[in-house]
Amino acid sequence: MDDVRKDLWRPLQGTSWRYLAVLMPLSLVTLWGLIAWGYQLDRGIGVAGIRRPVFWGFYLVDFVFWIGISHAGTLISAILRLTDAEWRKPVTRAAEAITVFALMIGGMFPIIHLGRAWIFYWLVPYPNSRLLWPNFRSPLMWDLTAISTYLIGSTIFLFLPLIPDVAQLARHATGWRRWLYRKLALGWTGSDREWHALERAMKLMAGIILAVAVSVHTVVAWDFSMAIAPMWHSTIFGPYFVAGAIFSGIAALILAMAVIRKTMRLEQYLTPHHFNNLAKLLLLMSLLWLYFTIAENLTVWYGNEPKEMMVFGARARGTFAPYFWTMVVCNFFVPFVLLGIRKLRSIKTAVIASVTVLIGMWLERYIIIVPTLSRPRLAASWGSYAPTWVEISITVATFATMVVLYLTFAKLFPIISIWEFKPHDRVPER
Amino acid sequence: MYLKGEFREKETATRAILDLKAKGFGPDALDVFSNEPIEFAGGVLDRPSRMSLVVVASALAFCLLTILFVRFTQYNYPLVTGGMPLFSLWSTGVVFYELTMLGAILSSFGWFLWESGLIRRKSPAPVPEVEPGMICLRVRCSEQQEDIASEQLIEAGATGITKL
Repeated sequence: MDDVRKDLWRPLQGTSWRYLAVLMPLSLVTLWGLIAWGYQLDRGIGVAGIRRPVFWGFYLVDFVFWIGISHAGTLISAILRLTDAEWRKPVTRAAEAITVFALMIGGMFPIIHLGRAWIFYWLVPYPNSRLLWPNFRSPLMWDLTAISTYLIGSTIFLFLPLIPDVAQLARHATGWRRWLYRKLALGWTGSDREWHALERAMKLMAGIILAVAVSVHTVVAWDFSMAIAPMWHSTIFGPYFVAGAIFSGIAALILAMAVIRKTMRLEQYLTPHHFNNLAKLLLLMSLLWLYFTIAENLTVWYGNEPKEMMVFGARARGTFAPYFWTMVVCNFFVPFVLLGIRKLRSIKTAVIASVTVLIGMWLERYIIIVPTLSRPRLAASWGSYAPTWVEISITVATFATMVVLYLTFAKLFPIISIWEFKPHDRVPER
Repeated sequence: MYLKGEFREKETATRAILDLKAKGFGPDALDVFSNEPIEFAGGVLDRPSRMSLVVVASALAFCLLTILFVRFTQYNYPLVTGGMPLFSLWSTGVVFYELTMLGAILSSFGWFLWESGLIRRKSPAPVPEVEPGMICLRVRCSEQQEDIASEQLIEAGATGITKL
């Protein structure tokens, strides 16, 4: 166990040039994104490409995408915890951290999209003299409560199993790290009462967080399907979005694991076995995604309702066709070939498939949002959308921010849960 | 006073706990310390918990409070709804659901802090240093019970006994 501890604590000590070489440029990209947002705050939302009739552009695409990615951790970790899957142990914390950071990033987009971000608190219920109480029936209010609940729950779900590890670290660390770990350890001593309470809380939280995670992406889907807009007003949008979220979440997890495996030299803990299991899950979700996509599009095509067919046509063979078919290739054909054929399945192919799935899932969000808005029911109101440098900069910066946050977290805390890694069954002779 | 017995294996620690309980030491007098969780068989050192009950009760309380809050808000600061009801359970159901879950989440965390003793640690009971891989059994006993407790710990296979 001591060797395990040493190995997993090693990445916390010192900072290699390789780590800095990744972190510094990405921090600059993050800074550029902040400058772009600052420019938008100064000049107004008009600097973004969103205009009549496409009022939701990149920002909402990013919002849905990142909320989807957030399902990587908590949902996957909760499912694996509840089913007591042994292989989950090195994977769970890496996954839970993705959730918290992706939610933080995703949750920013409605605020960025507001334009006047400084009055975002108008969404929060509070008494005021102008009687501007929020409309609780609005899906915007649903989003606020769902995402806030999920963020609080995910942070606690990440923090709880971290307590025993930071308590261990507090004993060995020095300086500010010791101070930080001691504060976060909350006075953990390792008594059986604490372990019992922790395990009970984790089991309960796993069940609760599953219910919340499913509801969050369902609510995000309802933002669209509650509108009587062509190709949005669909009853399968809830499960379709949840399946897509888990799909993109697994892809993000595989990618994050591959990066930390290489940069932090954790090859013997994140083994091909873990990647193989996650790759099989990714393949399964790819098939489920295909099923939902066919169900959704086939129903529209067979129904042949003129307004819906306008949007369907734009997606399948019109302006948006290149994006649509790239999405199909990225989300189905690539994972199916690379992960479905056993001989081809490896860490490298799992990473390639994950990258294509992430591209495909971002395109899917774009394909869902923009064509419907650009082709409303009244043909005279049709319009187009092209993102500006501000939207592109902010979008790119969020990816950089995600990596920066993740690498910073991995530098401060063990990315693999040490106490969970090896249950105390038998202790070797001293 | 407190005695600490060190064990290398779960089985010997289990034996010590059972022997001490047979000699009249209650579960409240016994605490096991380790760097990893140890699962004892049922009946060895059970720690009854009300966490599930508290979580369900808190969730219901949050649900009720949210319903009352939304109803109060909608009637006291009415919006123009075009003839639709001011308060509708269906269209505000998502808000109730999410805040019910928030109640469950916060109470899970709060009750964990309470039940684990992390936020109510007033007693100056000494905490033994645990070597990696070792299991420490801390026994609270009186001066008169010290010999009995030490004897039981040694018989069960404790590698070292210390007075804390």
